[in-house]
Amino acid sequence: MSTARNPRTPNPVWRFFCSVRLTIVLLIILAVVSIAGTLIPQQQGAMTLARRLNPVTLKLFLFLDLFDIYHAIWFRFLIGTLALNLIICSVNRFPGIWKRFSALPRPDRQKPFENLPDNLTITVPGQTKTVAKNVEHFFQKKYKRVRGKASGNTFYLYAERGRLTHFGFYLVHLSILIILAGAIVGSLFGFEAYVNIVEGGETDFVGRTTNMDRIPLGFTVRCDRFFVDFYDNGTPREYRSDLTFLAAGKVLEKKSILVNHPAHFRGITFYQANYGKVAGDRARLKIIRKASEPATTVVEVKKGESIPLPGGDGHFRVSDIREDFMNMGPALLIRVHPDGGQEISFWVFRDREAIEKRFPGLTKKFTKLNPSAFKPYTFTVEQLDTRYYTGLQVAKDPGVPLVWTGCFLMVGGFFITFFMSHRRIWVRVTPGAKNTLVSLAGSANKNPVGLERELEHLSARLEGYLTRKGRKVT
Amino acid sequence: MNSLILSYITFVYFAAFFFYLLMMVMGRSVFGKIATTICVLGLAGHIFAIVLRWVESYRLGIGHAPFSNLYESLIFFSFTVILLYLIVEWRTKNRTLGTFVTPLASLAMAYASFSPNINSRIQPLVPALKSNWLITHVITCFFGYAAFGLSFGLSLMYLLKRLDHEQKSGVFLRLIPGKGVLDDLNYQMVVIGFLMLTLGIITGSVWAHSAWGSYWSWDPKETWSLITWLIYAAVLHSRLVRGWRGKKIAILCMIGFSCVLFTYFGVNYLAGLHSYAKS
Repeated sequence: MSTARNPRTPNPVWRFFCSVRLTIVLLIILAVVSIAGTLIPQQQGAMTLARRLNPVTLKLFLFLDLFDIYHAIWFRFLIGTLALNLIICSVNRFPGIWKRFSALPRPDRQKPFENLPDNLTITVPGQTKTVAKNVEHFFQKKYKRVRGKASGNTFYLYAERGRLTHFGFYLVHLSILIILAGAIVGSLFGFEAYVNIVEGGETDFVGRTTNMDRIPLGFTVRCDRFFVDFYDNGTPREYRSDLTFLAAGKVLEKKSILVNHPAHFRGITFYQANYGKVAGDRARLKIIRKASEPATTVVEVKKGESIPLPGGDGHFRVSDIREDFMNMGPALLIRVHPDGGQEISFWVFRDREAIEKRFPGLTKKFTKLNPSAFKPYTFTVEQLDTRYYTGLQVAKDPGVPLVWTGCFLMVGGFFITFFMSHRRIWVRVTPGAKNTLVSLAGSANKNPVGLERELEHLSARLEGYLTRKGRKVT
Repeated sequence: MNSLILSYITFVYFAAFFFYLLMMVMGRSVFGKIATTICVLGLAGHIFAIVLRWVESYRLGIGHAPFSNLYESLIFFSFTVILLYLIVEWRTKNRTLGTFVTPLASLAMAYASFSPNINSRIQPLVPALKSNWLITHVITCFFGYAAFGLSFGLSLMYLLKRLDHEQKSGVFLRLIPGKGVLDDLNYQMVVIGFLMLTLGIITGSVWAHSAWGSYWSWDPKETWSLITWLIYAAVLHSRLVRGWRGKKIAILCMIGFSCVLFTYFGVNYLAGLHSYAKS
């Protein structure tokens, strides 16, 4: 082979990128690298491993971005190379495919008829000429590019279908490029963020997932209510947030979101991702005064409000409310200002009895935790107002429509490439002793069994058709 | 009730395996016919039990398709393997593949029914799984896994058949169809598996897009399904474009199936979002 001297021989770079061997190697490298990414903890999980590595290995890991492989530059470079390889392979194969697509074989080729099985030759009544005309009519209905040719008293016919299927794999390759384009569009013009909103609260910005950068939304989102519903066995059944979208103080839209049912607003999507509880700013306290005349008072308090003590000997206020203090449940901080005395402050737990059981004597031991630290009063929490907050995943991804288009094309491309083929049919009509003989032959670029089945089916149908037509004439 | 029936089906498939094996060792086709009959009966019972489980979940007031945890997925995997195998047996009129595939189904059933780590009770659906995509996603993925399982069996048969010499070979090897037939059938299985896996990944990412807020988050299961996809894409390219046949393809298919197994089971040992498939 003297292809080396061929002036149209492509340069080495082109040759490198148009080889399918490169494709296979790239696919396998990508697979191996992806495996590494699932074994080495990535992003948030990387810290524990990073602490155990020695400095040199750690440096190497950081240099190679091994803690965030899928976003590393070299990983993108690999995908880019695959895309380039795919484009160049497709371009390179185009002339050959175009040739197969456009080639129109002669109708009177003999080769297809060699070693023809008996059942593909049928005998039908009528003259060769009429039969030939009917055959042509029959094929024109279902096949494309039907060409007939007479040679002596033998008539030949060529017909085909599915020649567009040669381009099926282009559809698959194009779909991959479209999906990659969608991913690029998403990473350039989109974001992934997160925000917690307390019931009744609102926000006009969210925090980027990777670095908690503030991203302004351009509108305000308010969480009106959050619901969580449980099955009898205690596992959650449903989470729901009622959201209101506002701009300039005007309510624009109200939407409820569930897991699997996000809300879209102005190109930004809100997903139910998390929830939790925070202490509110209200509580109901029971104050017991152990004096000569014991008295119990129940007061509603708001955080920061100064309230006179029931005995008239000073004021107190709740200066802090925590959902969970020292892992012992909800608690609030009380500061007492006795008239003309030193301020005294202490925490009061809501679940005091349970804590007493777990750590007997604890609250007595530490003044800071003793609800009776200010004599002669004892404070207990009757009710502590807690509120849910909803955790929302917030995302904007203008690349998504491209990705879905790509997926759709890919599946279509697969069906064409794997299950459809370019089938060429040759028919020979020759005069027999009394009747006319019709032989069928064919070739296909794939699925030879399917072609055989089609030919058998075709010969049966053709026989019926021609016999009917023949009878009508006679 | 349904799980009791399903645990019996383990033995039904094992019996089918036994008769397929007997057919290949003794070279008597009557055993093959018995094996097929057992398989069909097992499949009927299997379908009945799955439907029963579905109905029972509604009776418990937590109705959902039985595809929600590892137990249910193993049951479904075994079902798809047997169903796909019986279709192939019917189309090819050859029973030898049964010897290599029924153990897979029986093992999956045994693991589901008798492993102490697997809970066979019907559990309510967590909010993330409450989606219409659950059924489509699971069905496409598991038919893909089943096709790859069959491809694994065929690859194994191919490698065994290579040991077959004209003079000295037992009935066992002689009964295995020719290498060309195996290679062709293997290719068809890979095509079906690849298409189903692609559909599975697509339905999964559409679902992830509405549940997790991103169509692709490099969760270990997602990544491993991509790895499997890449391996089988390499298989298809090496066969269709580079014209590889036979042994190389068989070995690649076996590597591919080990990736499938890791996607299915191995990933459970890595942290990720697909945690409901663990127990």
